Amino acid sequence: MSLVMHENPAAHAHGRRVKIDVRNVDFYYGDNRALKSITLPLFANSVTAFIGPSGCGKSTLLRVLNRMYDLYPGQRATGEALLDGRNILDPAVDVNFLRSRVGMVFQKPTPFPMSIYENIAFGIRLYEKLPRSELDARVEEALRGAALWEEVKDKLDASGQSLSGGQQQRLCIARTVAIRPEVILFDEPCSALDPISTAKVEELIEELQEDFTIAIVTHNMQQAARVSDTTAFMYLGELVEFGETQRMFAAPENKRTQDYITGRFG
Amino acid sequence: MTDAILEAHVTEGALLATRRRTLVSLRRGDRAFFWATRLSAYAVLLILGGIILSLLSGAWPAMKVYGFEFLVTQRWAPNAMPEPILGGLGPIYGTLVSSLIAMAIAVPVGLGIAVFLTEICPPRLRQPIATAVELLAGIPSIIYGMWGFFYLGPFLAEYFQPAVIGLFANVPVLNEIFKGPSSNLSLFNASLVLAIMILPFVTSVARDVFMTVPPVLKEAAYGIGCTTWEVVRNVVIPYTRVGVIGGVMLALGRALGETMAVTFVIGNSFRISQSIFAPSTTISAAIASEFAESSDLHQSALILLGFLLFVLTFCVLALARLMLMRLEKRAGK
Repeated sequence: MSLVMHENPAAHAHGRRVKIDVRNVDFYYGDNRALKSITLPLFANSVTAFIGPSGCGKSTLLRVLNRMYDLYPGQRATGEALLDGRNILDPAVDVNFLRSRVGMVFQKPTPFPMSIYENIAFGIRLYEKLPRSELDARVEEALRGAALWEEVKDKLDASGQSLSGGQQQRLCIARTVAIRPEVILFDEPCSALDPISTAKVEELIEELQEDFTIAIVTHNMQQAARVSDTTAFMYLGELVEFGETQRMFAAPENKRTQDYITGRFG
Repeated sequence: MTDAILEAHVTEGALLATRRRTLVSLRRGDRAFFWATRLSAYAVLLILGGIILSLLSGAWPAMKVYGFEFLVTQRWAPNAMPEPILGGLGPIYGTLVSSLIAMAIAVPVGLGIAVFLTEICPPRLRQPIATAVELLAGIPSIIYGMWGFFYLGPFLAEYFQPAVIGLFANVPVLNEIFKGPSSNLSLFNASLVLAIMILPFVTSVARDVFMTVPPVLKEAAYGIGCTTWEVVRNVVIPYTRVGVIGGVMLALGRALGETMAVTFVIGNSFRISQSIFAPSTTISAAIASEFAESSDLHQSALILLGFLLFVLTFCVLALARLMLMRLEKRAGK
């Protein structure tokens, strides 16, 4: 059954709540229009996958959702992206606060140049003044949440950069989770990882959707099929098809979607 | 048939022989290259050793007469009878304190400029400011000396020093450090000129290493809601601290040895004053201003001062190395 088409983006299909409602978002790198009137919902407590060939704008869309593009002059977005009804793109929005609600995990693991413990505690301290014992508990909770605790509990003082790639990526997920955001954006989180680490991260994403709204950009069709509830296929800055993952992989409505997921182009 | 096979063997043999000859000549070239690089490296050690030896032999007479007293004696009286009384404490103190004050001013300002240029500055302004800072490094030190002597010194004596002296007049301890009368030539003026001179070193090294921070690492920090200040303090500087400390030490080395500009503005007084607004001298300034008219023991004492400067700079660099090793050990544990 087809879930939602982009003509009717904010539909509360299956009674699911819309966490972020993207409406007619255009994005420009200078004069280059990288997103063309994107409209789609991100449902609360579910995983939305963004697929499409390189340069189709899926990472760009993710970077709109936490205003990461703000760091670079010459990049701008128009339209609306409503997070619980408030427009993210409003210049009056406090971006630091926004980013504490919408966390991001990057393609390459990005542990900060500090100890494993500090990598997690640093983010928490930005927002909360906690006594040491509570901070310890929060760090442990976050590391457990990212399925990393057992591997690092005896070397919390070691540098975060001394971990393996897969562990670093889970450290970054723990760091993001520790701040207790509402939405987590994953930008190709497994592209630098081996298959075993990838499986662990995917498992983690499954678990995280109980508490968070998740968006994931991936080049891996199987990954999108495995982890997501909803999939968006983008091509050349446009949203081609959006719908329930199972349905989309079984019976894509658009010819281009079908070509892409069967590997005929892209 | 057999002829053809034979012929093929012969050609193959010739080919191998040529190849072997080529290899032999290449190997000879390799050995020559090996020795050329090795000798260049040894030449550095040789020159360094030669400099230390000639300094020591020049300083020997003064070392024999004054011994370790030289390090703690403040009096500098080359014309005293029957024998000159010479102590190096004044210039040593002046060298250390002027460099220290210069670093205290230049490091925060230099890092600030570097942070502004790499993190905050709109792209249109970036190049002009960076170029201006680099031009500062290109100004010969004698120009700084003259500028400090004719403009900066009088300006500071007229406006800045009286204000600061007045400000701290009733604060214990500080009123001794900032004590009048104001003066055109002073330790503080020298420090300020030094600070301006080493600023470009701090800035350009810091800027270069700040630019090596992967953008995605900064994005990750911004991504958890850090402000620019938090990103700089917790990610950019820790990530680059080895490079930053290297740049700071380079600047310190330069400040310790700087001669011309300091000689112009420091006032050449061997007496140590608690006030930083009083004239003072540094090792290199003392040597530059007295060496031409010195002889015998006086000259030997100046060479001894030079040797001490050498030791001082060496210690600073060694300390920097030690600090870096510690940091690396702690970060990589």
